[in-house]
Amino acid sequence: MNWLNDNVNVLALLGAAAILILTIGVSWKYIQQMKTDKSSGELTKENWDGIGEYKNPLPIGWALSFLGTMVWALWYFFAGYPLNSYSQIGEYNDEVKSHTKQFESKFSNPDKATLMAMGEGVFLVQCAPCHGVTGDGINGKAANLEQWGNEEAVVHAIVNGAKGSEYPLGEMPAGLLDEQSAKAVAAFMMQEISSVKKSKNPALVEEGRALWATCSACHGEDGKGMEGSAPNLSHYGTPQFVVNVLSTGKKGAIGNMPKFNDGRLTNVQKTAVGTYVSSLAK
Amino acid sequence: MFHWLEKNPFFFAVGVFLVIAYAGVVTILPDFMESARPVTGTKPYTVLELAGRQIYIKDSCNACHSQLVRPFKSETDRYGMYSLSGEYAYDRPFLWGSKRTGPDLMRVGNYRTTDWHEYHMLAPQSVVPGSIMPAYKHMFKNNTDIETAYAEALTVKKVFNVPYDQPDMPKLGTYDEAKKALMEEAALIVADMKDPEVKEAFKRGEIKEIVAIIAYLNSLK
Repeated sequence: MNWLNDNVNVLALLGAAAILILTIGVSWKYIQQMKTDKSSGELTKENWDGIGEYKNPLPIGWALSFLGTMVWALWYFFAGYPLNSYSQIGEYNDEVKSHTKQFESKFSNPDKATLMAMGEGVFLVQCAPCHGVTGDGINGKAANLEQWGNEEAVVHAIVNGAKGSEYPLGEMPAGLLDEQSAKAVAAFMMQEISSVKKSKNPALVEEGRALWATCSACHGEDGKGMEGSAPNLSHYGTPQFVVNVLSTGKKGAIGNMPKFNDGRLTNVQKTAVGTYVSSLAK
Repeated sequence: MFHWLEKNPFFFAVGVFLVIAYAGVVTILPDFMESARPVTGTKPYTVLELAGRQIYIKDSCNACHSQLVRPFKSETDRYGMYSLSGEYAYDRPFLWGSKRTGPDLMRVGNYRTTDWHEYHMLAPQSVVPGSIMPAYKHMFKNNTDIETAYAEALTVKKVFNVPYDQPDMPKLGTYDEAKKALMEEAALIVADMKDPEVKEAFKRGEIKEIVAIIAYLNSLK
């Protein structure tokens, strides 16, 4: 008899019993009444083909609920529904508002571990369809993020050129420097320009400084991209660089990357994706 | 008054109609005119996009993919802004779909690109591991039916007054003009594609179905 432990079942059984008892009781009363009752009372004036009607006063409870319903119906017709009607968009706005209230303060100053977890979650939904679940670019179908945003990638970009994110100064041509010089410039850039401030080849930094003029023509003496004319390299290797790509999109050598600035990602989420993506390249 | 109504069935029927219609009047009329109009920026499909749309219908993409982002946070987080009725003003028929075996495609043009669609149509599992979508290899073989697409555009222009050939709206013109514009539009998509046969065919003046369907998918924003 386990099912009797469920309140709903017990309630349903009690309700069924009550309906049964009431039905039997009321039917019995009226059947008895039909046996002995005689018609009596004052008739109304109306008469339909010989069928008359008694002047029975309305039962008080019935009359009150009838009037109450009419008052409520008038209010609902003219004020209740038109003024307080349900709106799907209104419910959506409430949902977003309560969601924002719940999570905005919680994630306003996220630590690194939170950003990584959030970034991985967003990456798997928004980025993985092109860049692959592990970020490897699925055999060259998209940029391999395991080799992107690090010092080797700078060398690769200088030697092979880079198609851009539609900066005013346009594409970076291939072969501006040979591989050895490119390595040196990359070392200088990572240590002195980028806020990563660390190069894998610190010995080459000074050599790279001498060659920086090749790059500064577009990226500026300080590497900050001359106020948006070219990519800001001081962000290179940091989450902010990824955030920039998310906002501008990219028309690269492999294919197009769409912009992610239609409001699907908040700034914190973009930073989280940046943190996660920068962690993929070692 | 009620006695009078009981004796005049016509006016009684009018009364009943008014009372019952009230609910419809207060729920539908207030913003019907507004929401039925095209949302600002909504444009009719170009002929190439229309051809892609016909392929979308022909291959029953709508059996598995909806085109309707509902106003729930879980959906707007993933797909973008929820759909407005005015955005479907030029959809004949609308392709809302009723079942999502695959993801919603209402705004797929915002987050997928030509090259991705090309990989995905040829071999869905190569970009989405575990996807149950079948490959649509025949789209790389079959030619697009441009005449039917042009006929549809011309029909909706004449019959429903769809604003082709108006300022800031897609050009339609004669069939030859439309064909020329369509080739220019297709050239941009073919340039972003990799399949050598599709490129070869385009040089011969043939537009494969894959080009049209990508044009259509890219237009969904």
